This record gives sequence, structure tokens and C-alpha cells, in this order.
Amino acid sequence: MIDFVQTTIDGVMVGASYGLLALGFTLIFGVMRRLNLSYGPSIMVGAYLGTLLYVQHGASPVAVAAMTVAGAALAGIYVERLCFAPMAVGAGVASMVSSFAIWMQLEQAAVLVLPRHTYPFPPLATGAPLMLGPFQLRIDHLIMLISALGMSLCVQLMLYRSRFGLALRAIIGNPVAAHLVGIDVRSAILTAFAVASAIGGFAGYLVLAADQQVTPMFGMWATFKGLVAMMIGGLGSTPGAILGGIVLGVVEAHGQWYFGPQVRELVAYLLLFGFLVFRPGGILGEPPTRSVIDRRSM
Amino acid sequence: MDDYVIGVLSNIGVISFIALSAYLLLLTGEISFGQQAFFAIGAYAAGIATALWGWPLAAGLAWGAATGAAAAILVGVPTLRLHGLYFAIATLAFAEMVRLLFELFSYQVVVDGEFIGPNGADGFRGIRYIFENDIGPLRFLLVIYGLLAATLAAFMLIERSRLGIIFRMIGEDEVLAETNGIAVARHKVLAAGLAGAVAGIGGGLYAHLTTYVEPRIFDVMLGVHSLAYGLIGGLGTAFGPLLGVLIDIGLLESIRMFAGYRMIIFGGLVALLLIVRPRGLLDEIAVHRIRKAWPRILAAGERQTLHLRRPQ
Amino acid sequence: MLEVSDLVTAYGNIEALKGVSLRVESGRITCLLGPNGAGKTTLMMTIAGILHPPRGSIRLAGIDLVGLSPARIVAHGVALVPENRLVFPQMSVRENLLAGAYQRRDKADIAADVERMYERFPRLRERHEQLAGTLSGGEQQMLAVARALMSRPRLLLMDEPSLGLAPLVVKEIFDIVAELNRDGTTIFLVEQNAHMALQVAHRFFLMEQGRVTFKGTPGQLAEDEVIQRAYLGTRRAAG
Repeated sequence: MIDFVQTTIDGVMVGASYGLLALGFTLIFGVMRRLNLSYGPSIMVGAYLGTLLYVQHGASPVAVAAMTVAGAALAGIYVERLCFAPMAVGAGVASMVSSFAIWMQLEQAAVLVLPRHTYPFPPLATGAPLMLGPFQLRIDHLIMLISALGMSLCVQLMLYRSRFGLALRAIIGNPVAAHLVGIDVRSAILTAFAVASAIGGFAGYLVLAADQQVTPMFGMWATFKGLVAMMIGGLGSTPGAILGGIVLGVVEAHGQWYFGPQVRELVAYLLLFGFLVFRPGGILGEPPTRSVIDRRSM
Repeated sequence: MDDYVIGVLSNIGVISFIALSAYLLLLTGEISFGQQAFFAIGAYAAGIATALWGWPLAAGLAWGAATGAAAAILVGVPTLRLHGLYFAIATLAFAEMVRLLFELFSYQVVVDGEFIGPNGADGFRGIRYIFENDIGPLRFLLVIYGLLAATLAAFMLIERSRLGIIFRMIGEDEVLAETNGIAVARHKVLAAGLAGAVAGIGGGLYAHLTTYVEPRIFDVMLGVHSLAYGLIGGLGTAFGPLLGVLIDIGLLESIRMFAGYRMIIFGGLVALLLIVRPRGLLDEIAVHRIRKAWPRILAAGERQTLHLRRPQ
Repeated sequence: MLEVSDLVTAYGNIEALKGVSLRVESGRITCLLGPNGAGKTTLMMTIAGILHPPRGSIRLAGIDLVGLSPARIVAHGVALVPENRLVFPQMSVRENLLAGAYQRRDKADIAADVERMYERFPRLRERHEQLAGTLSGGEQQMLAVARALMSRPRLLLMDEPSLGLAPLVVKEIFDIVAELNRDGTTIFLVEQNAHMALQVAHRFFLMEQGRVTFKGTPGQLAEDEVIQRAYLGTRRAAG
């Protein structure tokens, strides 16, 4: 019983970072209705810049975090300008393939600049884990959880209390009408991309700091975790993103505990597939209506 | 022809199968990131058939096609209700599950005194049919391209037939197609099965070409690549995906001096191409133009030959 | 106030507008009538900046709007109530109105205007926290009009406001149109419902197959002929 709860606790903590990744992903998806396959790689660019700062200048964790976030945002802007902004309505597949091409580009660029397989990342917190009764709470995991919840609160506030958030929700609601009420849709989307990538960068920083290392595989990993968590929680739902992440984290933790590391991934994908077949809207999202996810409207 | 060129051409031929597989689904309006699953299933099935059960190559490949088709139909039915992005992600999830299952899959049989067969993450070695039967690289190349030509012929036949029109109608507007009396669900499953079969043959050929497969190869990269080939080469004709494969593997293999920067250049070029031509080089408009100009090209060619034949 | 000259808008190679010229007078209600497919919505979308014309000009009090982004056109004082309403379905009535005032920064005045909208359209006040997607057709139409008015436009464009609405509701809408004009708003209205449109119009144009085929005042053409040409088009007006 204790193991079960401990595993669940660990799963929730890790899941919080998945949720953050999903948050950024869902913001982009909400306004664009297209998958950005370069999402993870953009975060990796930020992470590599962060590790460069750490390794060559011994920067503090805060500076590394800032660099990761800024780098991810810049990479996100690059992707948006090249893969999404120039595409007409209906060229959704082209955008996604384009973002895939840039994924490969960014990955190779990162490997060229930092050719070793792994690079160190400054830890979030050193020190013994807290004990809550018989249960262990790693401090860095706790920081992840609190940051994730805090960040999602900020995003909710942004969406529902700020002018920019109103613009985003209008674009998500009806892009043509958003133009007609005088919203500068193109610049709003660009900003959304930058913000989403920055959030992803922050999530990436937390994960890498807990892991204390970054590898070139991180880009793909981050995209998938964000994607799966987003789909489970519900496309286009910000609380759904966090919830989806936590569910994914818990399922993975238990999958690994009972069946081993290989089955862990399998269980995650099985969960995703199951949701898609039986409840495509995810936990908190709406079931997809044809017009929303029509290939032609992408 | 030296072995290196044969190797590259064989590679192009084999990968063309999975590109055609993704293209077929795209025609019916569905984006699939998961055709590599059927490529994998075909590879393992054909490999098991020839290496473990002693079947001849043709039977092994047919078995690969059949299992690929069966798996595709198996996943095609529950995902019928899914569209667009949801379908795409479902295919991705399925393909990853297949890959992970192969990492756990072990089936070894004693053949000629040693254990042969798929062994989880260690992969499946010893698919030595073509060596044991003295089929040299050139002969196998011909096998690959023979099958590819047959597949292409089938595609061209389908595109000109009623079935092809039905597929494209479904791709344009499913609801409209349904109201025109088309049994959309049945045709989508048919398309999925055909695509699975094509990928399965390709996988079988791949397994015998390299004599060794492991689950790691059949990852999402392969899947998105196969989709990308159609997007780059053009979605107007079955030659489009082939053009895409040719450009990627053919051109890039030969630009050796760019070795370290290959993806940086290629990635950027693809992104730029897609801005200008979101449906690829040989998109429907280009194909239409070529078809219209074809009689003129033929006539011009005839005029040339007539001119040459006339005593001057 | 608005002068459209030789406007050509094309979808690929197909010209939807084949050289449209018309004029909207300040302070008046001008109507554009015509059958389905004549290009009326294309014209509205072009004026609003959603579509880009390869040829022709659109002058608003002398300023050429062609080539400007939709947001800049709104900034110049044009607001479009689009065909099919296009409300923001997941946002409340109140938020839809606030979205309409997106470019304005004067919070107090915006709040006052919201109040004014509730007074003019009492049913919106009743439903002010309700999600716009759950409103009835007539209520959505009122919301769309109110949303457009929130930007305090000089020129209000309306694309088929009566579409899909019950006759009683249509009458309400046209009463509002007349009232808005009395209060000083210039209105350019596209309609299929020729009968109602002619009741309020000061001037009207007839559009068929991408061209303006008649201009005049109600009464110049017998109403039944107008209705005939508005719904069916004339055989003479061949491209």
C-alpha cells in the first residue's frame, strides 16, 4: 500500500512537468489547429543554450533557467515564421511536415554545436527529500509541482483576465470574426507561439534540472510527452493539460513499477490510443466536431 | 554498376513502398504518422517466414503483405470515427505501441543448429534468404524494382478507375461523398488495408535487403519521413512520393561534402518548398498541366523524328 | 463616404467580382441586393480586408482601404456584421461585446457602451453571462450587430442580417437598422430579403454575377421587378 501511494506521489510530481509541456502545446494547438512537431526541439534549443551558459560560464540556476526560456521562445518564433505563418488555410499537413523538417534541422544544429551525448544541467535543489509520514517527497519534484500549478494559474489568468487572452480566445473561437473585431491575428498568433514556447522552456528547465542532464533525444521526448498529456487531458483545455500530464505521470509510474521500464511507454501509448478511440475529447476537452478538426480547415 | 550505387538504389526502392503507403491514405484525406508499423510487421513476418519456417521469398513477401493489411484493417476500424489530427495522433500511438511490442517480442527457433528469430530489443538477425539462395545484389535490386513497378502500375490503374475517383472524393469531402451514395467507411478500410499491404511488402523487402531488423528502426522518424516524401514530391500522382524519396535519399547521399549539415540544409529547403508548394512539387496542378501539355510534347517529339527522317 | 471603383476579387482564377463600382452616402442606408452567388459576401469581405482584390480601389472618406489588414480597416471606422453572425461561441455575451471594443482603451466609455447595448437589445442583458453559442439565431444576430457597434464605427456593414431568421425577428432587426441610422450611423446593407431591405433603404444597388447592374432609389424600379432580379437574376446579365 505504501509503495502504491509513493509511486502515485512520484507520478503526480513528474506528471506536473508533463502537464506544463502540454500547456504550451495546447496553447499553440488552440490557436493554430495544427501540430507543431518542432515544439520539443525548440525547447531543446533553449536547453542547449542554457547548458552552454552553465558549462562555459558557470552560470547560476536562475540564469540557466532564464536562458532556457528565452532560447525556447526565440526558437519558437523561428518555427512560427517559417512553418506556420506563411501557410494558407487548408495547408495544415504542409505546416506539420514543415515543422518536422525544422525539427530535424534544429536537432542537427544542436548536435553540431554540442556534440557530446550528454551535458550537465544545474540541479534544482540539493538536499535530502522531505518525509511526509512514510512517504518521500523529493524537493526538486516538489518545486516542479508547485511551479507547474503556479504557471497554469498564470496562464488561466492571462487567458481570462487580459486583453491578449481575450484576443487568443477570440481567435480560437472564430478566426474570421477575430479579424473583424479588429484583432491583429497574425501578431497575436506569433506572440502566442512565443509564450507557449517560453512555457515549454520553463517546463523543460524543470525536467532537465531534476534529471541534471540534457541529451539530444530531449526534443523528441518533450514533444511526445506534451502531445500525449494534451490529448489525454483534452485538446484546447488549459486545466486539462495539467490534469492530462498528471494522469500520464501516474500511469507511467505504476506501469514501470509493476511491469518494468519497457512496458511503461507501452502503457502510456495504450492509454492515449484508448482515449482517442473511446473519448477523443480527452478528460476535460470537448468531443471533436467535424468542422473543428476538418482537414480542410487546418 | 558498383555495389554502392546498387545499395543506394535498393534503399530508394524499398523506402518508396512506405512512401506510397502514406500517400494512399493521404488521398482518402487521412494523415497517418504510423505506416512504419505495417512496414515493421511486414518485415518481421516475411523474415520469420523465410528464416524460421523455410518458406520461399515470394511466399514470405506475400505473408508480409497479408499481415500488414490485416493489422491495418484491425486499427482502421476503431479509428474510423476519428478525423484529421485525432486520426494522425492515433496512428502515431498505434505505431509506437507496435514498436514497443516488438521490443518485448521473442520468437526463436532452432534452424541448422542455432537459434534464429526476433529477440526483443536485440532485433532479428539472420534473414539470410537471398544469400542462401545466391541472389546477388543486382538480382535483388531487380526484384525490388519489379515489385515496385507492379505496385505503381496498380496505383495508376486505381487512380484512373472508379475506385480512385471514390478515394479522392472521400479525401475532398467525406460528407459529400456519403450523400452521393458512397460507402465511405468500407472504402476507408479498404484503403487502409491496401496501404498496409504495400507497406508490408516494403518491410519484407527491407528485412531481406539488410538481413537484420530491430524495433528501433521503425520509429516515428520513419513514419513522418514517409509522409513527408509525398508532401515534397507531390500529391498529384503516385510518382510524387517516389520523387520525394529520390530527392531525400538519392540527392543527399551524393552530397557528401554537406555530411554534417545535411539536415540543416534539407530541413530548411523542405520548409521553404512547402511555403511555395504546399502540396509538393508534382501537385495536382502541375500534374494537370503536364497532362495537358503531354500531347503537345508528344507531337513536338514526332515532328522532330519526322524532321530527322525526311531526306534533307 | 465609401467609394468602390472597379473592384475585382478572384478566388484563384475565378473572378467573383468583375469590376464593381458603387457609392455609399454618409448618413444613409444603402442596400445591395442580388441573387445567391452574385458576389455580395465577397464584396463585404473585400471591404473588410479579409479578401484581397488584385484590382480596383475602396476609398473610405478618401483613404484607400485596399491592402490594409482587417485590423487597420476597423481602426479606420469600418465594422462588419458578417454573414452567419460568427459570434465567439465559447465566450459570453458580455465578452463578445468586449471583443468588439478590442481596439479601444477607454475602459469607462466601453463599459458605458456595453450598458447602452443592453438597453437597445434587452434580450442581451438577460443573457449577458450566457455562452454566445447557445443563443438563438435572432439573439446571435443582435449580438453580432451590438458587437460591431462596440467599435463605434463610422460605417456599419451588414451581410444578410435576416438570413435564417423568423419573420418577426427579421422585422425587429430592420427596426434596429432604421433606428441606428436615425441615430447617425451610415449603413451599407447586403440582403436577399429585398422586400424588407427596400423598406429602409435610401438607395440601392443590384448585383448580378459579379457586377452592379442597377442603381437607384426604392420606387424607381417596380418592387416585383427588383425582387425578381434579386432572387433570380435576369437573363440579360450574362457574364
